[in-house]
Amino acid sequence: MKRFDFDGLGEKLLRNFAGNSSRRSFLSKLGATIVAAPAFPLLPVARAQAQPSKPDRSPEAKTAFARNAQTKDDTKCDYWRYCAIDGSLCSCCGGGMSSCPPGAEPSPVSWVGTCINPDDGKAYLIAYRDCCGKSACGQCGCDNTDRETQLYMPQLNNNVIWCFGTKSMEYHCSTAVLVGKAS
Amino acid sequence: MGDFRKREMGERALASMISASITARLSRLACASLISALAISAGSAAWAQTPAPAAATAAATRAPVEPEEPFTHKLPEWSPHWGFVRGGWENGGTRIWNGDTGKMLGLVATGRWSDLALDPKRRFIYVAETIWTKVNRGTRQDMISVYDPVNMALLAEIPLPGRLIIGAMKNNFVISDDGKTGFVYNFSPASSVNVVDLEKRKLSQVVELPGCASLVPVAGIGFSALCSDGTLATVTVGPKTSTVTNSQPFFKAAEDGVFDFYAYDRTKGEIVTLTYTGLVRTVKLGATPVIGEAFSIQAAAGVRPGDTKPLDINWFPGGRQAMTLHRATGMLYVLMHRGEYWTQKAPGEELWVVDMATRKVVKRVPLKKEAGNIEVTQDAKPLIFLSGDEGLLQVMDAATYEIKHTIERGGGGVIATPDID
Repeated sequence: MKRFDFDGLGEKLLRNFAGNSSRRSFLSKLGATIVAAPAFPLLPVARAQAQPSKPDRSPEAKTAFARNAQTKDDTKCDYWRYCAIDGSLCSCCGGGMSSCPPGAEPSPVSWVGTCINPDDGKAYLIAYRDCCGKSACGQCGCDNTDRETQLYMPQLNNNVIWCFGTKSMEYHCSTAVLVGKAS
Repeated sequence: MGDFRKREMGERALASMISASITARLSRLACASLISALAISAGSAAWAQTPAPAAATAAATRAPVEPEEPFTHKLPEWSPHWGFVRGGWENGGTRIWNGDTGKMLGLVATGRWSDLALDPKRRFIYVAETIWTKVNRGTRQDMISVYDPVNMALLAEIPLPGRLIIGAMKNNFVISDDGKTGFVYNFSPASSVNVVDLEKRKLSQVVELPGCASLVPVAGIGFSALCSDGTLATVTVGPKTSTVTNSQPFFKAAEDGVFDFYAYDRTKGEIVTLTYTGLVRTVKLGATPVIGEAFSIQAAAGVRPGDTKPLDINWFPGGRQAMTLHRATGMLYVLMHRGEYWTQKAPGEELWVVDMATRKVVKRVPLKKEAGNIEVTQDAKPLIFLSGDEGLLQVMDAATYEIKHTIERGGGGVIATPDID
């Protein structure tokens, strides 16, 4: 599996932000959140580092979702990356597991999940990025809730529409972008 | 083809006659009579093609035709037995059901991105909503729309600086007991609360509230919210600014969080909270909240307490609005399902009735149809509204647990019942 490319992601994000001056207000709000709540783990990387050093990944320690997850078909709700997704799978809407359907705009922020890949038994951090700007796709609706929390921990809540910083906040579908190894 | 042309010509003639009648400023009654007459003659033409005996019978039994004036109904006087039941994802409108008759009374225009709140004094219906000037694009507009409770006429729109877009949740938009102040949760993704003066119908202030959400009014103080550090934040709302204080932590937000659909008892100034594993707790609201001792709902039913371990199949609470409290009797109704931990959204297979005074589960009611939302009416002969993802609405008698009505497409979303005095 390809290693997570921090530099690549950083460059991509920077280019994306630099090219969209209209997002300044959104960035200032995001900045306000981070400044106002230093303990608020918005960054998935911070969460990954916060995981215990050697978590138990035995079958007995896995959730029902993780024990039954598969790695072949990303248009099914039991695909391993979807352990905390809520919404229509972009894979069923003309997009992909980590890409938006034509004409839809990916949200620069997301909620996150920690999912176990059954092929290697390791945990990975998944960023659930909504694709925005079109009416709801309505295909392949899934609602998986591993380690999903309530609204006061929004970064782990799968009900929030994460179309922040996009041209339109209309929700279309959800993707599951691999961020890196969780531990 | 010939028939089609004739019909087309007939339609044109009808349209031009209607147009002519309007330009000639005929009275409405005359116009209605004309249209009725034309419609009848068109109908007669169609009937001419049907066998003669049938036509003769139909003509003989036809009732005398009186011209009718279309009109719009008013809502009847509000009953405590009404349920305001939101549709599902595909149809966000909130249907008003009479729990006694099972009949629909009307619909509140709650779009997909909105939250409903009923004035505790039943004087207004409020909808906090977000729309865009060009439907899915254009300028975003956030507001509270105010409707009167009889004609359901739009009385006012109170602009908001923003609000959380999430569909609908029970405690995102709440109103103070006296009906004077509204609290609308905002997430941008910085977390804040819009404090709205509902008498002057304008925003009074925005309170930054990082890491907290799900609101409840606190009489004489302002409001409280659940926080990610496991505390209850209490916001003392001043004329222009507010102060935020936090209680001691009493739950683990990431491991065993308190559900954000917790119940509020305004007569006692308390909330009842429930965690994923099934811990029930009362919290007395105020400047310094008093956090009560927790008890396990499973243990209260004589079942092993819930825990967070995988492969441990037990009864767990679950749903989007899985708990409701009948204030006068102190009965807590909770939707429960069998499963492992992390099934907090799974719909209820059973309804567990907890007597909050004795901390015992006094009844377990199997549900023939699973439900993810529950709300009880607050009167002395309460009804329980239950709704599920497929839009099936059930109305249960809270005394006998008998299902009184089962309504297809009744609404699969959040349920609200009117407050009583």
